[in-house]
Amino acid sequence: MRDSIVLYVNGTRREVGVDAALQTLSDYLRLCYHPPDDERLTGTKIACSEGDCGACTVLMGTPNESGTSIEYQSVDSCIAFVFQMDGCHVVTVEGLRNAGGLTGIQQAMVDCHGSQCGFCTPGFVMAMHSMVEEHHQQGSQASHLEEDEIRLGLSGNLCRCTGYLQILQAATAVDLKTAVAMEQLFESQAMLEELVRLSRSSVCIKPTKGDPRAVAVPRSLPDLLQFRTDYPNARLVAGATDVGVQYNHGRYEPQQVIATSKVPEMQTLGIEDGELVCGGAATWSEVDKVIADRLPELHQVLLRFGSPQVRHLGTIAGNLANASPIADSIPFLFVAESSLILASRRGRREVPICDFYQGYKQVDLAGDEVIESVRTPLPPGEVAIKLYKISKRRDMDISTVTAAFWLELDGEQITEARVAVGGVGPTVVRLPQAEDSLAGKPLALATLAQAGRIARGLVQPISDVRGSADYRSQLIENLFAKCYYDLSSTLSVPVS
Amino acid sequence: MPEVGNAIPHESAAGHVTGTAAYLDDLPRRERELCVVFVGSPVAAGRLKQIKGLDAAKATPGVRCVLTHKDLRGPNNFGPILSDEPFLVEDELSYIGQPVVVIGADTSEAAVEARGLIELVCREAKPILTIDEAIARESFIGPHRHMFSPGSEDDQLFQAAFDKAPHTIAGRFRSNGQEQFYFETQAALAEPCEEGAVRVISSTQNPTETQVVVAEALGLGMHQVVCECPRMGGGFGGKETQSALTAVMVSMVATTTGRPARLVLSRAVDMAITGKRHQYQCDYRIGFDAAGRILAAEFAFHSNGGAFADLSTAVLERTMLHADNAYSIPVMRVTGQVCRTNLPPNTAFRGFGGPQGIAAIENGIEQVAAQLGIDPLTVRKANLYQDGVAGRQQTHYGQIVRDHVLDEIFEQLAESSQYERRRGDIEKFNASSATQAKGIALSPVKFGISFTTKFLNQANALVNVYTDGTVQVSTGGTEMGQGLNTKLKQIVADEFGLSVDRVRLMTTSTEKNNNTSPTAASAGADLNGAAAVNACKKIKRRIREYAATLLANVEKGFVASPEHIRIEGGMVFDDRDLDPRARLEFGEFCGIARRDRIDLGARGFFATPGVDYNRETGRGNPFFYYTTGAAVAEVTIDRLTGELVFDRADLLMDVGKMINPGIDRGQVIGGFMQGVGWVTNEELLFDDSGRLLSTGPTTYKIPNITDLPGTFHVDFIANTKHVKNVRLSKAVGEPPLMLGLAVWLAARDAVAAVAGGKPFELALPATGEELLMTLTKLSVPSEPRGTKPSVNGAPTNGAGASKSAARRR
Ligand SMILES: Cc1cc2nc3c(=O)[nH]c(=O)nc-3n(C[C@H](O)[C@H](O)[C@H](O)COP(=O)(O)OP(=O)(O)OC[C@H]3O[C@@H](n4cnc5c(N)ncnc54)[C@H](O)[C@@H]3O)c2cc1C
Ligand code: FES
Ligand code: FES
Repeated sequence: MRDSIVLYVNGTRREVGVDAALQTLSDYLRLCYHPPDDERLTGTKIACSEGDCGACTVLMGTPNESGTSIEYQSVDSCIAFVFQMDGCHVVTVEGLRNAGGLTGIQQAMVDCHGSQCGFCTPGFVMAMHSMVEEHHQQGSQASHLEEDEIRLGLSGNLCRCTGYLQILQAATAVDLKTAVAMEQLFESQAMLEELVRLSRSSVCIKPTKGDPRAVAVPRSLPDLLQFRTDYPNARLVAGATDVGVQYNHGRYEPQQVIATSKVPEMQTLGIEDGELVCGGAATWSEVDKVIADRLPELHQVLLRFGSPQVRHLGTIAGNLANASPIADSIPFLFVAESSLILASRRGRREVPICDFYQGYKQVDLAGDEVIESVRTPLPPGEVAIKLYKISKRRDMDISTVTAAFWLELDGEQITEARVAVGGVGPTVVRLPQAEDSLAGKPLALATLAQAGRIARGLVQPISDVRGSADYRSQLIENLFAKCYYDLSSTLSVPVS
Repeated sequence: MPEVGNAIPHESAAGHVTGTAAYLDDLPRRERELCVVFVGSPVAAGRLKQIKGLDAAKATPGVRCVLTHKDLRGPNNFGPILSDEPFLVEDELSYIGQPVVVIGADTSEAAVEARGLIELVCREAKPILTIDEAIARESFIGPHRHMFSPGSEDDQLFQAAFDKAPHTIAGRFRSNGQEQFYFETQAALAEPCEEGAVRVISSTQNPTETQVVVAEALGLGMHQVVCECPRMGGGFGGKETQSALTAVMVSMVATTTGRPARLVLSRAVDMAITGKRHQYQCDYRIGFDAAGRILAAEFAFHSNGGAFADLSTAVLERTMLHADNAYSIPVMRVTGQVCRTNLPPNTAFRGFGGPQGIAAIENGIEQVAAQLGIDPLTVRKANLYQDGVAGRQQTHYGQIVRDHVLDEIFEQLAESSQYERRRGDIEKFNASSATQAKGIALSPVKFGISFTTKFLNQANALVNVYTDGTVQVSTGGTEMGQGLNTKLKQIVADEFGLSVDRVRLMTTSTEKNNNTSPTAASAGADLNGAAAVNACKKIKRRIREYAATLLANVEKGFVASPEHIRIEGGMVFDDRDLDPRARLEFGEFCGIARRDRIDLGARGFFATPGVDYNRETGRGNPFFYYTTGAAVAEVTIDRLTGELVFDRADLLMDVGKMINPGIDRGQVIGGFMQGVGWVTNEELLFDDSGRLLSTGPTTYKIPNITDLPGTFHVDFIANTKHVKNVRLSKAVGEPPLMLGLAVWLAARDAVAAVAGGKPFELALPATGEELLMTLTKLSVPSEPRGTKPSVNGAPTNGAGASKSAARRR
């Protein structure tokens, strides 16, 4: 058990106590003086502090499973905490200096007029480096990034000046074969070895007499559950993509925290007996890799879930425990009738997801419990699934309304229907009356439209910054018809 | 080799990509630096009865000062046009977040703790938030303005023009505001200097105004205040006047405590308390004939100015001056009134009122086309200004639109974008799709270049040539990413025949350039470039005179003759003397010149010739020239969800001879996409108390890279008729923003396809909600295709739409 957080910043080892551990990563980088040159790393910019612009993007490196190399991913440093970086190598734009001149990516941005005011630029550069890292890690043979890949890969970075076209062109110009890898910039066996060692020992910075603060980074499930019992008031933090935003908005002051994201037992991902099993700490980018082929509809939603930076840290348990009525994963898990495995030192219990939610941000989770995993029955072949995420802006936006349709079909007949909607009440809900009206009917526009009208009567949305109540009601109604049209085009049922 | 015309990278590009280009918050911490926070009004309207907790705040450990309006040393009001805005609230509370108390402390924790101890006791009043409420309560800023085209002054003649028109349409068009969303928020750092003076480093487009305002607030002479701006992380107009408050707050703390003080607004505070693009309402009436030729038009604008005048009257003026856009309208009346409301004072934003004027007429054009059942492009062509054609070249304010290539732009763009073919394809698509609607639009922009306030059309520049032949240039122009400094570098390099790496642009400072105008109105390169050229010319004259004697060669028969001296290719030489040894390297020459006591520095000045405008009569030549262009946009709307996909854009602009094509292209793309944001998803929402709800990128959605159309062509057209301005260039900053309207017009076109001839007004921005609710209202109550239900769902009674509109201020 360690009592300090150890991370590397641009290849330099840093060991920090509770003060720094509870800072956001961007504050730590920008406000503290870092060795070797006693430098504030101000290349990382802050333009929003809510994970939505990517100006603060840095790379987070963690040892791969076999411990043979470090894998790097982009994260938003403004909403991540330093304690989450325990056992990680953080690379900021300043770290690219090791290349001895501009990296190929930086040079392309210069040559293509990819910057105007320049404030967003370091973030874009780091996000591009993250994309290149992914190619290197996968041993990809591609020579250049594809345009669609660039658009999605950079969807977590906003720019107000350039209108993006020249940035897109810069990213397209990058030669993947010669693009420098972090491995080349930071060739350090010692660093790798230490990161691997660190990944095996839990951290607990205990409260002291005058200082109630505590930071725990458990590296095993028993340690996690022990800490959960020892510090009943501590906040669980996984990717902090919700907690970090709340912190920056002054809605949460971290006093005691327990990191859940480094517990190997909670990172399992796989398919067992027709069930998708996701460890609670699995990040969305990892989940996506497993489900992309099996659940193409969910894959489409995940492509638009936050941004790469958010998906690299954000976890499934975080999404579920945060209990937002517009959380994008919940409607699907509702219609798939997933269950949550909750663990505590007292043991395990399984809760159907519909029962987990008890009211607005009210969940069936005891003070000593954690969401250990989520089990989701995979839809059999005769089930058609449609998922909808309606948001003001297509990408990188929180949903206004979500919906999931699970229709079991026998030819053109609907034998069973499950529908869940979000954003129209305090929790995601199933719509039993609408489901009933679909069951036993033909898959036809009239059937779906009728169910849509019923559904509209079942929800009582509110008006807020993302949309008016009437708009939401209208969407709920229309999504039924849309589901029909979308299915009829893929199932080749005639449109009429 | 000339440098002008080359697409060299932005001068700070290497700094941008490495993160070494420093913005205000990146500048090294000063010794004993204080952190500044302020307490803002909790209500949008009312009176401040009492400030509780001042003493407790002052007593907080680490707190160095707690200041109110009583600590100001000068009059408590400012404003660029009407001086109606207090620095700090005395009595009347005018918008939520309006600064009341300023705190300086050793740490941000101490400052925040002190802020928590202060309680503002207010008597709350009912705020005025909307244009309608302001009109009802006659809450206005400035006079009601008129701009009547020559011949339309007479009421009867004016009415007669409408009576004679075969068709008339009328309606009310609304456009919402827009947040600048510069990436670097408002920020300033003040350092106390000797003898009570202060140096303010500010992220500002307007160092001179900052100097003036700080001097006034602190009761100092202007000579005691220096304002510097190294660079901005974006401005877009939002830092033309509104950077002043931040600068005043840090300066008050610095002069009170004798310690440096810095304030960098958080995004949420910045968005909540600073002004934005104005929301507008326009009542219009258009008379036209069967061919779509507009015979008479009337536009009555009301803008939501917010709590104080700021630049609102000037913004409104530009709206009125752009209500014609690119169309010659024989009889036209434009009126305008700024409304005073309890929102933060609205201000400059790229386009400066132009977009709202242009949106109004372009919406009108679509309505005209719909009424006649013809393609809007036909209507546009029928009304375009015609260069040199009598009766088709005078604006409603009297200026002649000349030397333009609008016709050519239309022709070339319609061709290159295959407008006609795509129009046909879209009609076919719409006829066959039950779930989607496509739309297309080609719309132009004609944007007047110059400040409409005449005196602002001036600039000065300081050029210092050193004895190694390198050059430093300082102007009042500020660099916010638009590439001004890069262009100036290219211009000055060419003046001396040097390569760009021998020229450097220096931090903008009122110490070097006094009484300067804001970097605004797209005129930064025009004005400062011309002033720099003027300075270079002075130095070159001295160089020529001196070199003439230095290089004269009596033996060869070359008497001293300045007109034969050339300053080119890094050399100074007499063009009659072909001997390479008789050429002096520029740096070597400068060294010799200095030893001979030749002045190698100069200050240049420029004032735009021939711009004049009479605000009272609404007549004159406010603009030096016009920048023009056009865009074609195509969109697809999901009829069931209102979701919009922007499929394709084709842009074509006349921006003269480009000083830097790489930078100009960036301005066109960036401006266009900002316009696209304004007309699609950027939605400012306030609650009923006047509090902004969309205070960050989570809820305020500027375009994302995935919003770039799949096909995006950007091109430029040559215009040999344009023979003005520095190096024959044209201003490029603002005009492309208005091309973003093509996307809104395409969305409107798609809705029109569903509307099937029914008239409708689409508000701007056309968010998914606005589109879906408009489509829903338009969908026929009776099921259109026999037994099939309406694809847009059950009709609502319309209450839904009006409820959502109520949230839009
Ligand atoms: C820019 C941005 C975009 C976003 N976009 C989307 C989006 O498109 N769709 C969407 O649904 N969400 C979105 N989110 C929200 C967020 O990313 C997701 O909810 C994410 O899944 C949260 O996971 P996390 O690990 O970061 O949670 P954290 O922030 O770490 O935690 C969230 C909550 O879960 C609790 N918790 C975490 N782990 C456990 C556990 N194992 N057991 C019990 N409780 C636990 C925490 O105590 C906390 O209360 C976005 C967020 C940001 C910042
Ligand atoms: S600062 Fe915007 S995402 Fe971090
Ligand atoms: S270059 Fe200014 S925000 Fe991207």
